[in-house]
Order: sequence, then C-alpha cells, then structure tokens
Amino acid sequence: MPAGDEPLVRVRGLRKEFDGTPALGGVDLDVARGELVVLLGLSGSGKSTLLRCLNGLHRPSGGEVTVAGTRVDRASARELRHLRTEVGFVFQQFNLVGRLTCLENVLIGGLGRVRGPRYGVSTYSRRMRAEAMAHIERVGLAAQAYQRADTLSGGQQQRVALARTLMQRPQLVLADEPVASLDPENAGTVMDLLVRVCAEEGLTVLCTLHQVDLALGWADRLVGLRQGEKVLDRPAAGLTRDEAMAIYRRVEPAAVAA
Amino acid sequence: MTAATQARPPGGASAPERPDDGAGRAPAPGRDPLRPPADGRRRALRWLAGGGVVLVLVASSAIGLDLPTLVAGGEDVANLLGRMVPPELSDPARIATLALDTVLMAFLGTVLATLLSVPLAFLAARTTTPHPAVAAAARGVITFCRAVPDLVFAVLFVRALGLGVLPGVLALALHSVGMLGKLFADAIEGADEGPREAVRAVGVGRVRELLNGVVPQVVPAWVSAFVYRVDINLRTSVVLGFVGAGGIGFALQDALRGLVYPKAMGIVLVILVLVAGMELLSMAIRRTLLAPKNPRYGRDRAVRLAVGGAAAVLLVVSFVRLDIDPLALVTSVPALLAVAGRTFPPDLTTLGPALWEALLQTLAIGLSATGIGVLLSLPLGLLAARTVAPHPLVYGAARTVILVVRAIPELVLAVVFVAAVGLGPVAGAVALGIGSIGFLGKLVADAVEEIPPGPAEAVRSVGGGWWKVLFAAVLPQGMPAIVGSGLYLLDVNIRTSTILGIVGAGGVGFLLFEAVRTLHFQVAGGIVLLVFVVVLLIERLSGWIRAQLS
Repeated sequence: MPAGDEPLVRVRGLRKEFDGTPALGGVDLDVARGELVVLLGLSGSGKSTLLRCLNGLHRPSGGEVTVAGTRVDRASARELRHLRTEVGFVFQQFNLVGRLTCLENVLIGGLGRVRGPRYGVSTYSRRMRAEAMAHIERVGLAAQAYQRADTLSGGQQQRVALARTLMQRPQLVLADEPVASLDPENAGTVMDLLVRVCAEEGLTVLCTLHQVDLALGWADRLVGLRQGEKVLDRPAAGLTRDEAMAIYRRVEPAAVAA
Repeated sequence: MTAATQARPPGGASAPERPDDGAGRAPAPGRDPLRPPADGRRRALRWLAGGGVVLVLVASSAIGLDLPTLVAGGEDVANLLGRMVPPELSDPARIATLALDTVLMAFLGTVLATLLSVPLAFLAARTTTPHPAVAAAARGVITFCRAVPDLVFAVLFVRALGLGVLPGVLALALHSVGMLGKLFADAIEGADEGPREAVRAVGVGRVRELLNGVVPQVVPAWVSAFVYRVDINLRTSVVLGFVGAGGIGFALQDALRGLVYPKAMGIVLVILVLVAGMELLSMAIRRTLLAPKNPRYGRDRAVRLAVGGAAAVLLVVSFVRLDIDPLALVTSVPALLAVAGRTFPPDLTTLGPALWEALLQTLAIGLSATGIGVLLSLPLGLLAARTVAPHPLVYGAARTVILVVRAIPELVLAVVFVAAVGLGPVAGAVALGIGSIGFLGKLVADAVEEIPPGPAEAVRSVGGGWWKVLFAAVLPQGMPAIVGSGLYLLDVNIRTSTILGIVGAGGVGFLLFEAVRTLHFQVAGGIVLLVFVVVLLIERLSGWIRAQLS
C-alpha cells in the first residue's frame, strides 16, 4: 500500500438526511489506492447511502467528501459527471436494461467517454465494440454477447454488470451488495471474479456486504456501520468472526446484559 | 497490492483484428463478432418500421399535407383564434342547461352500456363462457360495437327515432359496449380460479358461483373501466349535437354555422371546463373507491354506499331531466332493428370509385394524423414524465398542455380547423394529429414513469448526462410501450377519421352521412362494413407487432 500517498477516498464528518430522517451521522473514512474495503452493517445502517454519497448519486447533507481529488459535496453537475466516469458502481439489482443485448449493456459503461447520446450497438465505434467484447470474454460470457440481458441468470447478469463497470475504465469501484440477490454458489463465483479482476487491474474497491464470512475472506479492511455511525474500522487480518458479528447487534450491549 | 493510477483493460485498443479464440463462443466461425448476428424477426420489424414511415409520408403528400401548408394553416388558425376573443357567453342559462344535459347523457349512456356489457362479458370470457362458440360470438358483437363509431350509430338512430336525446344516449351506450365488454371480459379472465372453486365446492349453482366467486374479484376493475368510460363519453356527447342527437354540441354548431366565433369560443371553453372537471372527479373517485389509503371496513362501506347512492340518484335525475321514458329503451328497439335491417344487404357498388377514393383518403388522414401525433407527443410525453423532466416546472407545463388538449374533443378541433383552413382532409389530419397529443402524450408519460429506475441510475453512475440517460436507459426500456401506444393511436385515429366527414374534414364520413341523410341505407351499410373490415385488419396487425416486441 502506498504509504503517505493521498487516499483515493477521503470522507470527513459525512452526514445525510432524507426528509429529516438521519441516514448517516458524521462518518469519517479513508480508502487508500488499491485497497479493498468491505462495509458491513444491517440493512438501513447507511451502507448504500454512504456509497451513493461517494459518486454523488446522493447529495451529502453535510461534511466533506473527496474522491480522486474531487470535492463531491460541492461539485457542480458537470464535475460530478466527470467524476462518475472514473468511479464504477455495481448494483445489487444489476440495473441492466433487460431488453438490450449484453454487448449493448456493456457499451453503456463507455458512455462517459463519448459525446452525444447513443442508441443501438451500431452507434458505438468499432473500437469500443471490440473493447466491450473483450470485457464480456473476460467475465466468461462471450457466447451470450448478443442475447437479451433479461434471458440470463442472476449471476450471469451481475457478471455483465461487472463487464460494464470495467468498460468504464474506473479507478475506484463501488459495489453495493453485489451478491445479495444471488444464491450462495453464484455469490461465490461473482465475488471471486470481482475481486480477481479488480486486483489484476489494481482497482480500489469499496464493497458493501452482509455475509461476514465473505467479507473476512476477501477484504483488506472491514468497516462496520450501525444506525449511520461507524462502529468498526480494522484490518481484516487478525479480526475474528465474533468481533465482526458484533456489528450486527441490534441493541446496545448494556441492554443485552439486562 | 500494487498501486495503479490508470487501469486499462487488456487488449482494449488492439482488439479489432483479434482472432476468434473460440472458448465457449456460439457464433459461426468467420462471422464478424462485432456485428450483431442476423435476426430475421428483428429485420422484419425494422423493415416494417421503415415501411410505416414511408407510408405516413406518402399518405401526407396524397392529401396535400406539407410544410408550407402547415405554416400557412398555422397563420389561418391564429387569425381565427384572434376573431374568437374575447369569448362570449350569451344566454348562460341555456348553455348551462345544455351542458347539464350533456353530462347526464354521458352518464346514462355509460350505465346502459354497463348493463349490456356485464352479461356479454360473462359469455365472452374464456373462463366463464358456456361454449367456445358462444364466446367467439360474444367477442364478435363486442368488436363490432367498438368498430362502428358512436356518431355513426347516432346518425342511424336519429333517422330511426327522430331528433332528440334518446338516439344520442343509445348510440353512446352501444358503442361503449365495445370497450366495456372487452375490459369486463378481460378482468373476468384474469380473475383467480381458486375462490371460484371454493364456492363451487360449497355446492351452489352456476350463477351463484359466478356471483360469489368471480364478481368480488373483478368489481374494482369494472368500476375503474366505468369511470374511465364516463370520461370518454362526456367528450363524445358534446359533439353528438352535430348530428342532431342532443347536448351542447348543438349550440356549438349553431354558433359556427352563424359565424359567431366569440360565442363558439365561449361554448368551447364551457366544454373544456366540463371535461377537465370530469377528469378531476374521476381521479378522485378512483382514489377513494379503489385505492383507499387506510382501508377500514366501516368507513369503506360508508364511502361505497355514498357513491352508490349518488349514482342511483343521478340515474333517476337523468331519466327525469332528459325526459326519457325508461320503457322507451325497450320499445325503441324494433325501430332501431328496422333501420339496421335496411342497411342489408350492404351496397358497395352504387357509389363506384368515389367510395374507394374516400376510403383511401380516410386511411391517409388516419396515417398522417398518427405521424403528426407521434412527432408531437413523443417529446411532450417524455417531458411530462416526472422521472425524465429536467425540471418540475417543465413537468407541470407538459402535463397541463396534455390535459388541455385531452379536454377538447377531436371533432371540435376539426370544426375549428375547417373554419380556419377550409374544407378538406388537411384540416381533418391536423386536427386529429394535434388531438393525439392528449391521448398519446399521456400514455407515453405514464409508461415512462413506470420504467424501473435502476438502469437510469446505472447510466448516471457511469457519468451520463440527461441525453445519455434518455437514450441508453429510458428509451430502450420504454420502447415496447411507446410503439404499442402508437399503434393503438393509429387504430383510434383511423376510426375517428371515418367520422370527420360530418364537419367537412375529409374522408369517407361525408359519403356515409350523405347516404343516411338521403335514406340510402344500403350504401351506408356498405360503408360501415368497409370501416369495420379496415379497423379489424389494423387491430390484428398491431396485435401481431405488439406480440413481436414483447
């Protein structure tokens, strides 16, 4: 890990409210380049909100968020769009356009690099199509390149979504529960692919998960959130399963004892 | 781990000449992997789309609709509107009476249609019909009612029963069966079989099995269809007066014939208020009756009783106020059947080539109107979708335009355009085209709002702006609904274009109304038959295209 380097993600005192309901209450977080950080927490603990504040899909209500040198909390719409071209996002529900072919879905990842709207595979340059095809091959779905995305299984769809993220040539990948909608076997395959590809490309990854075992197996560092507050931030090495599970305790330890 | 400032995918730039390395790849060797594989169905759809565009262009030029005409026509309309302001409401008491009559006609017509549609729907629904042949026959009756425009029924019934409100109400009722019967039957077919089986298991007969096992499931859909149809019939009933079948349309035609434009504008505004009011009322009814926020048995029942009671009172008021003897509904049937009988056998020869020319013109009007409608409605509908509009103000403005256009019946628009640009198909096509905004714009906006938001978020998160989100996420997902609505619009426009002739806006309608006026019923029968066949063919074609898309 490049010590002393400016972290790729730097969050200070991040607050986010939805119509007065607090979702994040002052979170600090640093992620160094090349690091793989897993965010753990119950649903509703603010994991997804935190990720979406990093690429500006949600506007922070307060605090500082710096990603790849851009101040997300005060960026203009144009700066945000530029930042997003460098930040890949993997969604729990894949968010593929079901009626389009896998290839076109992957090409959508390259939209940030071209000017003007596109519609249909043939509106993208040959070069981009070749690049997209290479990514589809890399996730092992070359034979399905021209199939409609909604004919694929969940695991395959998430692999297409991963290819779409690679097409973006990002520095940072934000993955929001990438395997929560998949069965255990597919979850393992997709997680394996995600981690392997990102490691090969030297990408920085911030991933939310709710399977502690997967998290302990893959992460460099674990960060736990509970009710919008950070309650854990430690390297994965040396962390026990029980210590990680403590994040999920619904109530304060004192109340449990009573 | 190593630090990588810029990640590049392997082989990104050098890929074009990449050999087909095969592993698990299905396409035939030698095929360019970067070109989408041949897909016969896709190609057929593409040709069909291209053919459709060419057909619209040919149709437009055939009726003399081009850009210079449109620009000149725009000036004429502006001129006319200038002469219409300030609108004037002379004799408000008479206008108010006529407006009330119009509303009651729409309501009564829809109630009668419902009474006819319920038994027909049970016969037509696959799951409840006594025999497939009965179902086919019932569906045939329903389709026939839909294919014959309400004004055509009205003209024939005015001939049979004389001028007045009754033929208008009956015409509305009969045509509405075409829609209500179909929606009712579809609801029955969509009902869950389980409760029915449970009722049957109790050991009751067929009627009670349907009443207790099916009706409770379909009532919400039926009520929703009924309210929607009252809304539509109000729009139609304001123009029934054009053929002497009562209502406010009579006063409007009077004012236009006498060239008293400010007065006509006053009546148009009254119509607009009526229709917009009905739209709001039906929205409120649908919300309180069908999707109550906090369903509680006691309150729920009170609301239902109140609405039902109000409807019953309104029904009595309709009979009294419109001066219709309920018995006349039955006693007038022989006269109607007599007129219907006189249209047989349909005569397709007397008019000679003029008939076919007029029919082609009707098709051309419908096609060009749909072309204009799609061009105008697509951008407007997208801006009227809350999820797409770049600003809430844009959303509000687009929705308002759609609502206002929806409030003006096409025939009223046609009258205005005829007054502005003169008799002929151009006035009809433009009027229908603009009227389409109210219909297609709303469908496009609603369909786009229902699209799952995930893919749009994905495009935003790769750095796409408004246009890229529109083209990469919104349009691909919305396309089947948009194409389907466009085809439905074509269907509606061709049906409407058959009656434009009544106000001199071109098409086969002129011949039809002349034939009825001069008592050549068999010729009229021939024209109705042709319209029926054309509408049926279009319905089949659009059904096929929709099936290919989904």
